[in-house]
Amino acid sequence: MIGAALVLVSVLTSTLAFRFGAPLLFIFLGVGMLAGEDGLGIYFDNATAAYFIGSTALAVILFDSGLNTTWRSLRQVAGPSFVLASVGVALTAALTGAATHYAFGLPWLDALLFGAIVGSTDAAAVFFLLRVGGIAIRDNVRSTLEIESGSNDPMAIFLTLLLVQVIMIGGDAGDLSRELLTGFVAQMGRGLLLGLAGGYLIVLMANRLPLQGALYPIAILAAALTLFGLTGISEGSGFLAVYVAGIVAGNAGIGGLAGLRRFLDGMTWLAQIGMFLTFGLLTTPSQFIGVLLPATGVALALIFVARPLAVWLCLIPFGYRRNETAFVSWVGLRGAVSIMLGIIPLTAGLENGQLLFNAACVVVLVSLLVQGWTIGPMARWLGVAVPPRIGPVERFGLELPGTADHELIAYRVVAGSPVLQGSRLPRWARPSLVIREGRSMRFQYAGRLQVNDLVYMFVSPPFVRLLDRLFASPKELAEGDEDFYGKFVIDPSQPLPALAEAYGLELPAGIADGLTIGGFIGDRLGGAVEVGDRVTLGAVALIVRDVGADGTASEVGLAIEPEAGAPKLPLFLSGREMWDALKTRLRRKG
Amino acid sequence: MDLTDLIAPDALVGSLKAVSKKQAIQDLAERLAERVGLPAREIFDQLLQRERLGSTGIGHGIAIPHARIRGVDKIVGAFARLEKPIDFDAIDDEPVDLIFLLLAPEDEGADHLKALAKVARALRDSDLAAKLRSSRDAATLYAVLAAGSAPNAA
Repeated sequence: MIGAALVLVSVLTSTLAFRFGAPLLFIFLGVGMLAGEDGLGIYFDNATAAYFIGSTALAVILFDSGLNTTWRSLRQVAGPSFVLASVGVALTAALTGAATHYAFGLPWLDALLFGAIVGSTDAAAVFFLLRVGGIAIRDNVRSTLEIESGSNDPMAIFLTLLLVQVIMIGGDAGDLSRELLTGFVAQMGRGLLLGLAGGYLIVLMANRLPLQGALYPIAILAAALTLFGLTGISEGSGFLAVYVAGIVAGNAGIGGLAGLRRFLDGMTWLAQIGMFLTFGLLTTPSQFIGVLLPATGVALALIFVARPLAVWLCLIPFGYRRNETAFVSWVGLRGAVSIMLGIIPLTAGLENGQLLFNAACVVVLVSLLVQGWTIGPMARWLGVAVPPRIGPVERFGLELPGTADHELIAYRVVAGSPVLQGSRLPRWARPSLVIREGRSMRFQYAGRLQVNDLVYMFVSPPFVRLLDRLFASPKELAEGDEDFYGKFVIDPSQPLPALAEAYGLELPAGIADGLTIGGFIGDRLGGAVEVGDRVTLGAVALIVRDVGADGTASEVGLAIEPEAGAPKLPLFLSGREMWDALKTRLRRKG
Repeated sequence: MDLTDLIAPDALVGSLKAVSKKQAIQDLAERLAERVGLPAREIFDQLLQRERLGSTGIGHGIAIPHARIRGVDKIVGAFARLEKPIDFDAIDDEPVDLIFLLLAPEDEGADHLKALAKVARALRDSDLAAKLRSSRDAATLYAVLAAGSAPNAA
């Protein structure tokens, strides 16, 4: 009963949080703390139970994030994300460990353990803040961050467990490194394999077994949690396994995906709330005071030194721009995972267990406050936020039984939208029904659309965004539009040489004669084009403003000062920039 | 480089009468023809070719037609305030009433882009645009442009 009441309070507070833009997860944690020993006095210090709730919740969140990861974005950013998730975590942990050693005066092993505890970014926090924050982040940056956060928990968990073990049995450095390597490979390997196998089994089960509608998502989630448990028992990384299984299931054409996603959306929220509430209850804020200063110091070292340095080193080979690297390092949110890992030394009965746990809580709080609160402004400042292209749309989607590749969607006609101004609906939209003032009528007989009409249409999903434009409320040219998309608009169907001629640009060798600007962009980006993608050509940059139904750029911006608008950071040189600098230096000497 | 370095007082028009994009560009091309010593037709053709790539209307009623032209020896511009806003296929579909036209030598790619960026940045200032819109004669426009591109107002 108390649990349910707390969940309710959290959900109600969340509406407030949206209004103030406060980090929601911080609120959940806060509600838990308020209800705990220092507040309302609910006494809860069963760390084992909290760990169990936390890891189960995390498994649900990871399965869900896997399910929402498309092959496309995975292919695009797999390299950088996985380097960040492995080497990046280890580096961050080592650097933070060093800071901890000096701030707390802890022995090195304990300090490194603390580094591992706060070493990974929190999938729940990152996904939540990047999606719900009301900003659209450039595609490659968002995917990098999401896949990193989805896949780096196993590494941090592994490091933490390993270090706890070493501290307990008192191993030496040689043993440590050997065990680190073999253990890591074994755990990750098993996690990956079992995840792949489990994912296919889940798809098979979902598509073969005649399950009743409502039971279907529950069965899938149960299967995923079983996989999590089984992988854990067989000494693999269960967290990696559920994440991989989620990716497989989400991309292998599992039936009823939309329903499953909706169900998991709800479950993920519940898992997050449950996780943060539990940890909020488990903590004793009055104990934080003792560690507040050094822990805040470590948190700041993590945010401003360890994470940026690790991210920068990891991303050097991948050609990220400086501002992108800066943003990736800023979104190093710590969350429930770190608190959960903080429980491990506690349950293992380490001498400094309580201290490490309290310090981890403080680090998480600082990170959620400092970074969580500033993601939006930071994204805009660094120029990685994609300005909205159209005004808000009121759209509702309905899932159709059967396999036809169509959705039934309904739009509410809003004042000032292009359909009201006389733009005609394309024929493929198949408008079938109009509901006006509570009465339904066939589209043919409805006459001109009016404000507040609901229009029902059958469309194939890729066309939805074209319809969105017709039904969108009018949109003023967004502030920052020209900084992001460039000053001028270019028609991508024009030949590339004409553009080169107009600006005196040198074309790369081997350009086909009839290549259009759009074709050139498509070639450079390897076919798949997203709004906000940039291609540089000599001194100018071409930026995709809009993508047509065929997946090529339908509107392109031309930036004549590609780096204007966003601040030029003196840090985070990309690999190419360092190479260029080195070349100039060498040339000058020789 | 000052905005007024780019245009001479005689290439400023306080209230240009034009009914179409082409007519406006044609008019300004003619005004610059003598200055650069080239036929107006040639200048006009190059500017139009650039427009074919996409409109140079950058929104909020402002357009910056521009082109590189063989035979031009330094960057030169013209400015016009239109009596009545005209359709320019601009980025935001708003009609245009302020036009800053730029011609650049063929071999100065980088300076061309720099001048273009400078003009675009200056005209983005809505105070400056408002002042330009309320000026009727060439001398006032010149003064506003000179003051608007001073370092402290940029």
